Amino acid sequence: MQSTRSHRLLLSLTRRFLTNRTAGQASPPPLWARGAANAATEEHTTHFGFQTVRESEKEQKVHQVFEQVAQSYDMMNDALSLGIHRVWKDIFVERLGPVHGMRLLDMAGGTGDITFRYLRYLANQPNPKQRLSHVTVSDINQHMLDVGEERAKRLGLTADKLPNSTIAWKCADAEKLPFESDSYTAYTIAFGVRNVTRVDKVLAEAYRVLQPGGRFMCLEFSHLTNETMQWLYDQYSFQLIPPMGQLLAGQWQAYQYLVESIRRFPKQEQFKQMIQEAGFEQVSYENLTFGMVSIHSGFKL
Amino acid sequence: MANVRCLQKLIRLQKLLLPLNAQSPRQLASLQPRPLTFLLARRNYASDEKTTTNLNDFRAREEQREKERDAADEAAAKAAQKEAGTTGGTGSGGSGQQDDAKQAKVDAIRVKILDAALQHVPQHGWTRQAIVQGAEDSGYPSVIHGMFPEGGFALVSHFNGKCNAQLVASLEQKTDSGKLEVENPLDFLVQAVRQRLEMVAPYKAQWPQAMGLIAQPQNAPTALAQVLTLVDDICYYSGDRSVDFGWYTRRVGLATIMKMTELYFLQDTSPGNAQTWEFLKNRMDEAVQLQMMLSQTEGMTHTFQRSFNSAFITARNILGLGYNRN
Repeated sequence: MQSTRSHRLLLSLTRRFLTNRTAGQASPPPLWARGAANAATEEHTTHFGFQTVRESEKEQKVHQVFEQVAQSYDMMNDALSLGIHRVWKDIFVERLGPVHGMRLLDMAGGTGDITFRYLRYLANQPNPKQRLSHVTVSDINQHMLDVGEERAKRLGLTADKLPNSTIAWKCADAEKLPFESDSYTAYTIAFGVRNVTRVDKVLAEAYRVLQPGGRFMCLEFSHLTNETMQWLYDQYSFQLIPPMGQLLAGQWQAYQYLVESIRRFPKQEQFKQMIQEAGFEQVSYENLTFGMVSIHSGFKL
Repeated sequence: MANVRCLQKLIRLQKLLLPLNAQSPRQLASLQPRPLTFLLARRNYASDEKTTTNLNDFRAREEQREKERDAADEAAAKAAQKEAGTTGGTGSGGSGQQDDAKQAKVDAIRVKILDAALQHVPQHGWTRQAIVQGAEDSGYPSVIHGMFPEGGFALVSHFNGKCNAQLVASLEQKTDSGKLEVENPLDFLVQAVRQRLEMVAPYKAQWPQAMGLIAQPQNAPTALAQVLTLVDDICYYSGDRSVDFGWYTRRVGLATIMKMTELYFLQDTSPGNAQTWEFLKNRMDEAVQLQMMLSQTEGMTHTFQRSFNSAFITARNILGLGYNRN
């Protein structure tokens, strides 16, 4: 009985894999032709993985993806990155260097990975003046926030147990933030910028809500600096990640989207340029693990 | 180890080849060691005078050239200014200016924060914490400390740069931009080093930490360049216009003495650091004696000097002494 079930699973997996590959071969839209062909249509288009979709559709589609994966999100992160994502996030928070008295907006912070590290970092630092710190965890997807809040309770990182910190959970769109201008001292977005429809709008909103001297930091999958490593990484992401998604979380499409969206995200230098155009200064980036992810940082001065 | 073995092999090979290559007895004779007296006899006073006159000629020529270059630079700057005034800074020049203005703004903020942070050094040491306090004092949120990813060393190098600039300004004033002759160069050097060290005195308790930061490999190039630039400035104002190898020995020597005195200074508990100044004076006298000794045996040390000279130039270029002085 056991064996037939696993056989069936394997069969369905192979079928899925094959159809996906053929579909993939037929469908990838030539990137260079995209802008010209779509300029005539009435609505702007954007990309959803390798597909070209209307701007109004992308938000819906991304929402759907994360609704599906919310429950298994953390487990999948561990499985797919072999646990390295924890190190990346640790380094990210270390670079931010939280200080008591700061107000952090953790955008796309759904399951709270950055927020929990931030709170622990603060708890480990002396606070002689008993200064209050704040963090707002914000995500466009309520499902992800629910998972995060649940985890916070389980880990004992709730406002009543942390003496000098307040936490707020808020469902919000990064392109239209429901926060006042100049209200935060730091804005972090970890593995989120890739999924938004209009990156320039997100950056402009980040600039708006930060107070002068505030810091924008972004942790995102990026492009490897070494050709050979990039090839290896491509093999891993296109051949292994979607099947693993199917096996472990029962989601092929969501993980297909994940790897495709990573490839579509601008390169380090280009993204740095975009951050500068939004008005940030002293913009810099740091590559981690050969550029598999990079940390971008900028200041509103 | 491998190098030594290689050298030994080479020497053996040379010994073997010598009789084969040396065909005529005259050539062989030239390879035999000459008595040292021959070398000494050749260097008489006449040739020395000749070299000094040559050096003076060279110096005059170089100074003339430098003046011409300065004049040309000034003229070019004026022309550029005029042009910018008339055209209103259009095209690529305009964007370049904008970038410069932005950079200047960022630099001004950095300096403001670091200046404010210096007040907190006695309490927090040369750390990120001091920078955070400084940022808050100057009205910025604490997270701006991210602008100084090197942490405490940013504060140390800012402090050193500031003190160096202050010292150079005071020396410039004393000597009227290097035009005034210094009566006693040795005393001038001692006073300059003393003046520089006295600037550190308010942070004496935290200075070991700063020296530790300076010595870290990732910070060493900047710190070394800062020291070498400082000793170069001090030597210049003390009236050193040498163009020979003494240029290097004087600077390296002064830098060494400065660092030695700095280390001594950390342990000195005497009132007014009197022992430190005594120590400084003694080391300076020793250096002068050493230099005299070296100059008297110049013929012997000539080859060493040359190889050391080239090594120093290479090292200087690797370190990139054309760094930004602040």
